[in-house]
Amino acid sequence: MPQAPMPEFSNSVKLKYVKLGYQYLVNHFLGLLLIPIMAVIAVELLRMGPEEILNLWNSLHFDLIQVLCSSFFVIFISTVYFMSKPRTVYLVDYSCYKPPVTCRVPFATFMEHSRLILKDKPKSVEFQMRILERSGLGEETCLPPAIHYIPPTPTMDAARSEAQMVIFTAMDDLFKKTGLKPKDIDILIVNCSLFSPTPSLSAMVINKYKLRSNIRSFNLSGMGCSAGLISVDLARDLLQVHPNSNAIIVSTEIITPNYYKGNERAMLLPNCLFRMGSAAILMSNRRSDRWRAKYKLCHLVRTHRGADDKSYYCVYEQEDKERHVGINLSKDLMAIAGEALKANITTIGPLVLPASEQLLFLSSLIGRKIFNPKWKPYIPDFKLAFEHFCIHAGGRAVIDELQKNLQLSGEHVEASRMTLHRFGNTSSSSLWYELSYIESKGRMRRGDRVWQIAFGSGFKCNSAVWKCNRTIKTPKDGPWSDCIDRYPVFIPEVVKL
Amino acid sequence: MEEDRVRFICKRTVVSTKSVEQGQLYRFSVFDHVMEPNHIRLVYYFRSSKTREPGEITKKLRESLAYTLNCYPIITGRLVKDIDGMDEKDDLNRQWKVKSNDGGMRMVEARATGTVEEWLRSVNREEELKLVHWEDMYHLPYYWSTFYVQVTEFDSGGLAIGLSCSHLLADSVCAMMFFRAWADLTLTRNMMAPPLFHSLPPRRFANHGMISNNQLLSHYIKSCALNAPPSNLTEDSIVTVTLLFPDPMVRAGESEPGLSTFEILAGLFWVCVSRAKGKTNEFVDMSLCVDVRKLLRLDQSYFGNCMVYHKVQYSKPFKTKDSLLLSHAAQDIHNATKRLDYDTVMDLIEWLSSNSNPISNGSDLVCTNLEDMGNSRPMMFEKDLILSHVSCYVEGPVAGGGQVIVLPSPSCEEPTSRVVMISLPRREMVKVVEDELLLSFSPVLLMDYTKQKNV
Repeated sequence: MPQAPMPEFSNSVKLKYVKLGYQYLVNHFLGLLLIPIMAVIAVELLRMGPEEILNLWNSLHFDLIQVLCSSFFVIFISTVYFMSKPRTVYLVDYSCYKPPVTCRVPFATFMEHSRLILKDKPKSVEFQMRILERSGLGEETCLPPAIHYIPPTPTMDAARSEAQMVIFTAMDDLFKKTGLKPKDIDILIVNCSLFSPTPSLSAMVINKYKLRSNIRSFNLSGMGCSAGLISVDLARDLLQVHPNSNAIIVSTEIITPNYYKGNERAMLLPNCLFRMGSAAILMSNRRSDRWRAKYKLCHLVRTHRGADDKSYYCVYEQEDKERHVGINLSKDLMAIAGEALKANITTIGPLVLPASEQLLFLSSLIGRKIFNPKWKPYIPDFKLAFEHFCIHAGGRAVIDELQKNLQLSGEHVEASRMTLHRFGNTSSSSLWYELSYIESKGRMRRGDRVWQIAFGSGFKCNSAVWKCNRTIKTPKDGPWSDCIDRYPVFIPEVVKL
Repeated sequence: MEEDRVRFICKRTVVSTKSVEQGQLYRFSVFDHVMEPNHIRLVYYFRSSKTREPGEITKKLRESLAYTLNCYPIITGRLVKDIDGMDEKDDLNRQWKVKSNDGGMRMVEARATGTVEEWLRSVNREEELKLVHWEDMYHLPYYWSTFYVQVTEFDSGGLAIGLSCSHLLADSVCAMMFFRAWADLTLTRNMMAPPLFHSLPPRRFANHGMISNNQLLSHYIKSCALNAPPSNLTEDSIVTVTLLFPDPMVRAGESEPGLSTFEILAGLFWVCVSRAKGKTNEFVDMSLCVDVRKLLRLDQSYFGNCMVYHKVQYSKPFKTKDSLLLSHAAQDIHNATKRLDYDTVMDLIEWLSSNSNPISNGSDLVCTNLEDMGNSRPMMFEKDLILSHVSCYVEGPVAGGGQVIVLPSPSCEEPTSRVVMISLPRREMVKVVEDELLLSFSPVLLMDYTKQKNV
């Protein structure tokens, strides 16, 4: 009996060491190459002796013109290099909105309200109960005050007051943390997918904080849960054009006006999962912020699959038979998300993966094309490229799917799962709650790379790669401050209601 | 009839701020089970000297209620039956339990026109009940909230808070204690008297036989039988009158030592109601409802039913002058109450554990003693909201054929002044309010019945 498992174990250990050896070899190839070259030169020099070296030096005729030209050339090349290098964009700090405890919605309350409101549609209530049981949400997620009423009263006033509550609280917190004065904001980007009043939410922010009249403000709406990273992309592009500026991004989703009042099953899903939340982020390209910035933006890759009809229609806002507006989620959402992710990985892979993985992927690709199409495609190991992963907490299924596809361990997706449990699906701001979780757990060290992946309607898959600029001390306040000690929790497959 | 003075705004659920440990089950005591079909409604009126934004105080109360509910998991839970428990008895007696599931309690927000003082001058029972929201148990009790709170802001100042609850979970004493805890938490962020949840004293094993002549027990044996006489089903509607007795002890004349104000007032109404019913040679059947927490050596913060009903028998002659009749009646009430002691009540508790029928007081007159619920420390939610009046209604088979509830008087200075709420069939009420003996106490009419529509 002990004979059979031993060989397997030693095989896998052998394989592990082979892999490690291979990775080390390929990733440090140039370094490894340099060592023998330096050794040869050193041996040569020692062999030659000091007089010979001096003779060699004197034999090189150095003309004044030659020296001048070569030095100008070097200066010219380095100037061109520094001028054309894209400005580094830093994330100075961010703050996430922590909803008040009085807005809490436990499962029992949600189900009761559901039953009281849809009293003649027991099948829809059953459906909602099953979704909630398997959703991965906890008992502390929050809905805005207007949705607590029986029946809910989603008026425009209520939506505006929810927007004011979540956005202004997050921004006040950000101002306090960074010491930023409202008059110093150069660029303002607000993204909120489903609530778009006139004047816009960015105008609301400008009005409240009395921002400058020459501020560059943008309001992105309708772009789904990946709008947060789209805003970051926009901020980065703007910060390339405007030197010495900062940008504030507000990512949120206003739940009040989007409560689905009908009973079409595929459209009841968002009611069960979407919760209140928002995040305010300060980005800057100023050199003075380099020392206190938390992260540096390395890459941002956006992939849009809208050209494909199936992807376009998979998250679709429409009216049901009774003229209630809701968001229809199609059944093949997971498959489409998987495809979008593959497209995104194909673009981001070469930018972030170490040479060893890229080589393996390339050889597997060539092999599949030329030799045998039936070879399994090699999935590069992204764990080598990143220390932390923030997967949009769109739902338990999304996180499970990505964990499987990218072969991530439980600890890698812990931030996403725990954010889903504590805050629910807060749409575009969920990535920031997850980042805050990692920081609150004290896991963020200088030089760590973070990969944020967001999915959104359209169908879009956007990723951002950040590099941690300084080791971050566990924050004393923040959305996780009072409950981080309870996490991680075990989330059962099905919670019996 | 003029238009409704009370405008319903919205209904919502208030949950506690901390999530509860799921799956906990609370069992009810025998006193709880026996009170199941009834419910309580309380209304508290507060006058205010400050003008406020409409909705501001309601929001504050909602938040403080959420914090208060952290200490009352039994209120935020839901009723269940037939949970697979450890009891073997569960097969025979499928009894209610509370499953702590974090459901929360319902809160209704409303507005009313005018001020509190105007309202109190012209309100009647029907209108007052509009200030307290109540829903009877649903077909599916798991989604039914057992407690309801209604906050009504008066447009020109003042506040009325209505609290209603199922009698299965609480009696009037602990409902009022809950209210006080909520007020304390709102005002001082500190709960002075958090509730205690535990079972009643355990069975005695000192080989007591049942006390012979335990009248409390015999009353319950009769009233809990399935064929107990049903409550008042006359075609006459019940009307309610609220009277303020400024100083009943003095008016009673021969102030017998040792008699409490409740006993005097209960005696007074015993006499008046009997006369109104036309009985000249006997008194009506009367049950007294008293709090036995002290008797059972329980703290006043004990949350759960702990009030018993015991019948009083009149043992003295009838044909005497009024004042002597009153004094005899009060004396008999006093003696009956004195006979209640630890063992008597424990006998009852032990008997009730094998009885599963709720109590019905038939068509008796029921006098409830809540006079000790006043407190020298005033109850308020904010510094400028002063409690001006409290109303209490109990509905269900335990209300018998007429009710007299004796409450402390929040606004009167005199410590022995009392507010009494009397609910009787209309025909009897007409006679009672004209009764000479009653009028000799110079009661002040706080709420009249005359504006009530005849149903």
